[in-house]
Amino acid sequence: MSETAVVSVTVKKMLDFAIDGVAMQAEDGQTVIEAARANGVNIPHFCWHPQLSVPGNCRICMVEIEQESGDPWFDIACNMPVTAGMHVLTNTEMIKTLRQDTMQFITLNHPVDCGICNKSGECMLQDYHYELNGAASRSRDPKTHATKFFPLSDRIMLDNERCIMCTLCVRFTNEVSGSKALGAVNRGDHALIRPAEDADFNLDVYSDNVIDLCPVGALLSTELLDHARVWYLESTRSVCPGCERGCSIDVWHRKHEWKLNALDPRMNTRIDRVTPHENPEVNGLWVCNKARDLAHLFERPRAEQAMQRGVAADLAVATTTAAQLIGAARKPVAIVSSWGSNEELSAFHAAFGAKVPGFVKADHLPLAGEIIEDHLLIKPDKNPNRKAALALYPALPERVSDALPADMDVVLVWGEGFDSALIPSGAKVIRLCSYAHADNAGADVFIPISVQTERSGHYTNFAGVVTAFNACFPVKPSIAHAEALFAALSADITAGSSA
Amino acid sequence: MTGLVQRLIPEFEVWKRRYPAGFEGSLSIPALRRIQEERGYIADEDIADLTAYLGVPRTQIDEVVAFYTQFTRKPLGTHHIQVCHNVSCSMRGAEGLVKHLSARLGIKPGETTTDGQFTLTTVECLASCGTAPMMMVGDAFFENLTPASVDALLTELTGSAL
Amino acid sequence: MSIVATELSGTKFFMNFPVTDTSHTLAEYRTRFGYQALEKALREMSPTDVTKEVAAAGLLGHGGAAFPAGRKWGVVKLGDGEPHYVCMNADEGEPGTFKDRWLMECVPHMALEGLIIGSYALQGRHAFIYIRGEFDLAYRRMAEAIEEAYAAGLLGENILGTGYSLDVVLYRGAGSYVCGEASAMLASLEGKKGWPRNRPPRLTVKGLYQKPTVVNNVETLVNVPVILRLGAVEFKKVGTPKSPGTQMISISGHIAKPGVYEVEYGYLWTKFIYEDCGGIQNGKALKCIIPGGVSTKILNASEIEGVTLDHNSAVAAGSQLGSGGMIAVAEGTCMVRLAQVIQRFYHHESCGQCTPCREGMGWMERILNRIVAGGGRPEDIDRLYQISQANDGTTICSLGDSAGYACSAIMDHYREEFEYYITNGRSMYDGNLTVEDPFASALVGVAS
Repeated sequence: MSETAVVSVTVKKMLDFAIDGVAMQAEDGQTVIEAARANGVNIPHFCWHPQLSVPGNCRICMVEIEQESGDPWFDIACNMPVTAGMHVLTNTEMIKTLRQDTMQFITLNHPVDCGICNKSGECMLQDYHYELNGAASRSRDPKTHATKFFPLSDRIMLDNERCIMCTLCVRFTNEVSGSKALGAVNRGDHALIRPAEDADFNLDVYSDNVIDLCPVGALLSTELLDHARVWYLESTRSVCPGCERGCSIDVWHRKHEWKLNALDPRMNTRIDRVTPHENPEVNGLWVCNKARDLAHLFERPRAEQAMQRGVAADLAVATTTAAQLIGAARKPVAIVSSWGSNEELSAFHAAFGAKVPGFVKADHLPLAGEIIEDHLLIKPDKNPNRKAALALYPALPERVSDALPADMDVVLVWGEGFDSALIPSGAKVIRLCSYAHADNAGADVFIPISVQTERSGHYTNFAGVVTAFNACFPVKPSIAHAEALFAALSADITAGSSA
Repeated sequence: MTGLVQRLIPEFEVWKRRYPAGFEGSLSIPALRRIQEERGYIADEDIADLTAYLGVPRTQIDEVVAFYTQFTRKPLGTHHIQVCHNVSCSMRGAEGLVKHLSARLGIKPGETTTDGQFTLTTVECLASCGTAPMMMVGDAFFENLTPASVDALLTELTGSAL
Repeated sequence: MSIVATELSGTKFFMNFPVTDTSHTLAEYRTRFGYQALEKALREMSPTDVTKEVAAAGLLGHGGAAFPAGRKWGVVKLGDGEPHYVCMNADEGEPGTFKDRWLMECVPHMALEGLIIGSYALQGRHAFIYIRGEFDLAYRRMAEAIEEAYAAGLLGENILGTGYSLDVVLYRGAGSYVCGEASAMLASLEGKKGWPRNRPPRLTVKGLYQKPTVVNNVETLVNVPVILRLGAVEFKKVGTPKSPGTQMISISGHIAKPGVYEVEYGYLWTKFIYEDCGGIQNGKALKCIIPGGVSTKILNASEIEGVTLDHNSAVAAGSQLGSGGMIAVAEGTCMVRLAQVIQRFYHHESCGQCTPCREGMGWMERILNRIVAGGGRPEDIDRLYQISQANDGTTICSLGDSAGYACSAIMDHYREEFEYYITNGRSMYDGNLTVEDPFASALVGVAS
C-alpha cells in the first residue's frame, strides 16, 4: 500500500483585472490601490497606508473604471474592491484633471514654506505638485492661517497650516502605538490635529513615527528642527542597539561631497537623524523613540586615548602591555560585552577560548522610567547582542563575587556597565571601552575601542534573527577595532600559559 | 472625580438601560448636553471625568466638544440668543433682526454683554423657515419676530426695558 | 407653532385632522387608526411580508434621495445572527425644510409606529431616533410619545403580547447639519464627531457599530402605518405611478402663506404656488424657486410652468424635489447675495474631512464675500464653476456636491447679476433679500 502525503493548501482566490490595459491579478478582497501596489503600480496617495485603516479623505487616488455603457465612473482606489474583469484607468484626461483639482485644493491654503520647511526634498506635496499639478494656484485670495509651531509633544512640533488633514498621525496612535493620543478637533477648514488634552502624547514611545508618516512638513522633530537639509544627507543601514529586538534602522549623516569645511568638523561625523528601515521579520515599519535618540547614545564623550594607569600611552604599547599581562595571568577572567557584534564575539572566543573564563554582562540596564517590555517592539534586555554572547559564555551571576574568585589576578573588562570596584584589589585590570568613564583612568591598561557606527557587523536578536549594520563614520587612528584587538591581546597566551 | 459628573452618573446609568450592550461610548453626546445643562458650559474636569466614566479615549470627547456647535467650553451669558441667518430667514428680515438686537444689546454676534446677561450668536437653519424671522433663546423658539415682539421679550428677560 | 394646513385638494394621510394641544397624544392618535397597522403587522404578517408590502407600495425615501424604502429594507439579511438597527433621521437641517418638525410635533406616534413596524420587518431589538439638538417641542413630544408607548405595552419587552421586543433611544444631536447624512448620523450615534464614511461598505451591510443598519427619514416612516393599513394597492392609487403617495412640502421665503402643506404627488406646481400658497408677498412676481432644500437646483418662474410636483417631473424640469423644502424668491432679489448666504451655510457645516469640500467651501464663500463687498474679479465666475465641478462626485458625502449644484444653478440662471456685481462693484438690486422686512428700520444707513 503506497502512502500518499496529503498536503492541505489554502488557495487564495485570484481575480483577473487590468490597469491601463495591462492584465494582472488581484487577491479577492484587495482594493484597487493594494492590488496595484502588489503589481508594482503606484497610484498617487497621501492618506492611504498599507498598514492603517482607510479614511479615503485626500481624494488624490481617484481612478477611472471603464464601463461598457461608455459613461465613465470614477472613485477613490483605496476603498474600491477589485472585481473580476475590472478595467482600471489611472491616467485619463478626466483623472488628470481631477488630480490637478485635488492638488489645487490641497495647496490652496498650504503655506509656501518650502524655503524654510524641514520636509523640503522629501515632501510628497512637492513631488505631487510637480507631477500632478504643475500650475500656479488658481486662487488670488489670501491664504487662511492657523497655528504654527504647536507643540504636539515635547518631541514633535506641529504646523497646522502645512497639515493636509490626512489623519495618518491620528490613525497611527489609534491603531499601532495604541496611545490614542491624537485627534482632529473643529469643523471644516478650521479643523486641527490636536493631542489629547491630558498630554498623553508625551508618553507615547512610538510618537516619532508620525514624523515619517506625515506626507508634508506639518510634523517635525523639535530637536532636529532646521538641523540639516535632507539632500545633504545620506543613510546607512544599521541596527538599533537599544534592546534585544534590534530594529532595522537607517542612520542619516552628511554626504561626503557635502561635508562642511568651515564649521566644527564633528558635524561631518554625527548622526543627523534615525529612521526605521522596513524589516518585516523584526520591526515592520516602526521604531520606538529610543532609536530616534541614538545620537545621544553614540555621541557621548568618547574615549580616544589609550592609557596605562591613567597616563596616556601609545595604542601599540598599551596593547603589548595588556597582552603580556594576559599571557602571564594564572587566573584571568573576562567580563564580556553584550554590545559586541557577532564578529567581535567570534574573534574574542577564538582568541581566548576556554583559556580565559568569560561572563556576559548587561552593559546597559533599563533606565528609571524606561518601558521594560510592550505589545509592539520593546524587549526587556536593553543590549543588542546578549543572545549571541550567551551562546559562547555564561551570564555574569547576580552575585558577581560568585564569578570573580578572590584570587583572580587579571580581569579583562570589555564594554560598559561593570563597576571596577567589584574587582579584588590585587587584580590587574585591562579595560576596553568606547566611552569616557571615571573607571578608565584607574585601569592598569585602558584601550579605547570603536562603536557600531565605525565598523560593519551583525547582531542576533531575541528571536535569533541576524541583521547587519554598516559603518558610516571613519574611526580615529588612536581607537582600536575590538575584533582585531582580541587577536593581539591573546598573542602571549598561546605561549604555554594556562588557567 | 469631581462633583458634577459623579452626581449625574445615576442618570446616565438609567439612560444606559435602553441602549444595547457595548454602546457606552454613545452616551458621550447626551452626557455632555446634561453636563452643560447643569454648569452652563463644559469644564476641563468634566471632560476628564466623563472620559474615565465612559472608558473612551480622551480625544473622542475633545473632538465631540469641538465639533458640535451647541457645546461650549466657556460660560455664556444667562440668555443665549441664537438668530437664524440662513436663506429663508434672511429673506424675511434676519439681517435686520441681528442689527436690531446688536443695537439693543450693544454687542455684535459672537459677543456677550458686559453684565453677563446676553450672548448673541448667528446660527444656521433651525427648521422654522415658515415662521421667519426667528431666534432661539436658551431652549425656546421665538418666531414671527417683529421689533415690538423682540423688545417685549428682552424686557421680559431682563425685567426692565433696554 | 403657526403652521398652516390649508384646504388644498388631494388625498391627505397626515394633515387630515384639526391640530390641537392634545391631538398628538396616544389617546387621540388611537382615534385616528393609531397603532392598528402595528397590530396587523405583529399579529398577521411576517417580517418579510411587511418589507414586501412596503416595497410593493413603491414608497420612496423622503429625506432627499428618493431611494425606494422597500429595496433598502430588503438588503438586510434576516437571520444572519447580527443585530439590525433602524434609525429614524429626524436631524432636519436642510435650509427651507421644516416638515419633519411638524410631523414630530403633531403626529409623533405615527412616526414611532412606523419605526416599530420597520424594526419588526428588520428584526431589530433596538431602534434609534436621531433628532436635531436644537429642537425643543418636537423633542419633548417625541419623548412623551415614547414613554406613552412604553406604558401602553407598545414598546419594551413582549409588545402587545406578541413576543416581539423593542427598545427605542431618542438621541439628540448637538448642532451639526452634516449629521443629517446617514453615515455621519451613525458616527454621531456612536458618540463621536460627525464624519461621514466612504461606501463601500453600505450602511445596510456595516452601519451602526458596524452592524446592518437602515436609516429612514421621519416622513418615510410615517408612511409605513398608512401603507400597512390601506395595503399597497390602495396606497398606490394616491399620487402618480412613479411617485406614489403624498409629499410634505415646507414652503417659505417670499411666499405669501408659508408653512407645511401635504400635497398629493402629481399636483400642479403653479397651482400650489399661486393659489394654495397665495403667490408672492405684496403681489410681486415670482423670480425663481428652490424646489427641495438649498441643495437642489433653482428653477425660474417659467421653468415650473406645467410641471407637476413629483420626482420624475422635477428631474425632467432640471432639478429635484429633494426634501420638499421649497423656497420662493421674488423679483427684485439679489441672487448674488442669496448665493452668498447659501455658501456661508455650507462652509459653516463642512465637516472638514475630505479635501475638495474642506478647502472648496471656504474658497467659494471668500470669493462670494469679496464680490458682495465690491471686490469681484472677472475670473471669479469661472472659478466658482470650477470649484463646483471639482466637488461633483469627488467627495465622501454630498455636502460638497450640493454646494456646487446650488451655486452653479444660480449662476446658470442669473449670470448677468454676477457680472454686473463684479463689473460695477455693487448689486443690480441693492443687495436686497427681502420683500417685506419687519426690521427694515434697523438696516437704515447700513451699506448693502
